[in-house]
Amino acid sequence: MSGSALLLAAAEDPKVHLTAQTRILAAVIAVAFMLMILELIRRDRLQERFSVVWFVAGLGMLAGAIFPGLLAGVADLMGVRDTNVALFSIILLLLLGLALNFSVIMSRQAAQITRLAQERALEKAREQAASAKNGGEPERERLEG
Amino acid sequence: MTAGPRGRIPVVRTLVFIPAWNEADSVAAVIAGVRERLPEADLLVVDDGSTDATVAVASEAGATVASLPFNQGLGAALQTGYLYALREGYDFCAHLDADGQHPPAEVGRLLEEVYEDRADLVLGSRYREADGGEGASEIAGEDYRPTISRRIGTSVFRFFLTLATRQRFTDTTSGMRAANRRTIELFSENYSPDFAEIESLQLAVREGLRVEEVPVRMLERTGGSSFLTPLRSTFFIFKGMIVLLVGQFRPRKVGTER
Repeated sequence: MSGSALLLAAAEDPKVHLTAQTRILAAVIAVAFMLMILELIRRDRLQERFSVVWFVAGLGMLAGAIFPGLLAGVADLMGVRDTNVALFSIILLLLLGLALNFSVIMSRQAAQITRLAQERALEKAREQAASAKNGGEPERERLEG
Repeated sequence: MTAGPRGRIPVVRTLVFIPAWNEADSVAAVIAGVRERLPEADLLVVDDGSTDATVAVASEAGATVASLPFNQGLGAALQTGYLYALREGYDFCAHLDADGQHPPAEVGRLLEEVYEDRADLVLGSRYREADGGEGASEIAGEDYRPTISRRIGTSVFRFFLTLATRQRFTDTTSGMRAANRRTIELFSENYSPDFAEIESLQLAVREGLRVEEVPVRMLERTGGSSFLTPLRSTFFIFKGMIVLLVGQFRPRKVGTER
């Protein structure tokens, strides 16, 4: 472990930064991304509470493109020589966190759907039991054929 | 509340519910069997989003049907039954499978245990040997024979559940159970939709309920087929182990002094 670390340190490559070309491309994509989010909200395809995190991600992307010093600083903190690698790592971690967040939301919604289905089933059953008790001949209205 | 003197029959209400998912072939016979053997109990069929004629057949047979609009899994179906028992004020409830594996007469023996207040939750076990020789013999039908994968799964769960609860269980996935009000209250609020059978046992023991196994006879199913394939069984076992592990670290719902 420490041996290979020494070996890497000995290589002493110059630091790799983002090129101007990548930065311009990233800025354009970031702006387009944020516009797309605004459009989705405007058309009621995306709820505001879910859009915040994406908007923040877009802003971060834009900031990284405009101020390359930011990313270089983060790369230094991480001990990564190549700024691109630092960028990829950060994005990967963010996406991982987002995916987990969605699983949490999905779990909650699955539980809510289950409870909703149960409540409906119970209500129907209660009606059926009540009408059977009152009228003798239970009236059976079923929704599904 | 039922520990009173023998001879006096307390006015208790019992609900027997049957979770059913596409069991149109066998559910009517099960309903008739329960009616005959347990005439004092109210009957509820919980339809778990069946796409066949289960609902029609069950209603035709005179059962009250709680119909989930789409398939939600066995745990959700069972919880629906417990919720119904809770809301409608039943003192005791029992459930059995709709495929004809569980003889209604055996359910009566499970209910006997909770009526007599010997346990809060009683499971029918097809693996535990009967200690006496009483009953069970007059039930007609072919005896239940577990498949290999079912047997492996059962022994794995048995081991881990025993480890988790420090209580010996032989038939952890048994779908034939009887419960009193205390258990109804617990299960109607906390019942995992994912892994109903195992997790509910772990939960019950952790919450300090008295869980007991009673040996029962189970029959070969009369309709449908088991959903277990070798691949599914393996997945099922791994899922079960994770569920049990996580369950050990769940916060307890209530104080557990007995």
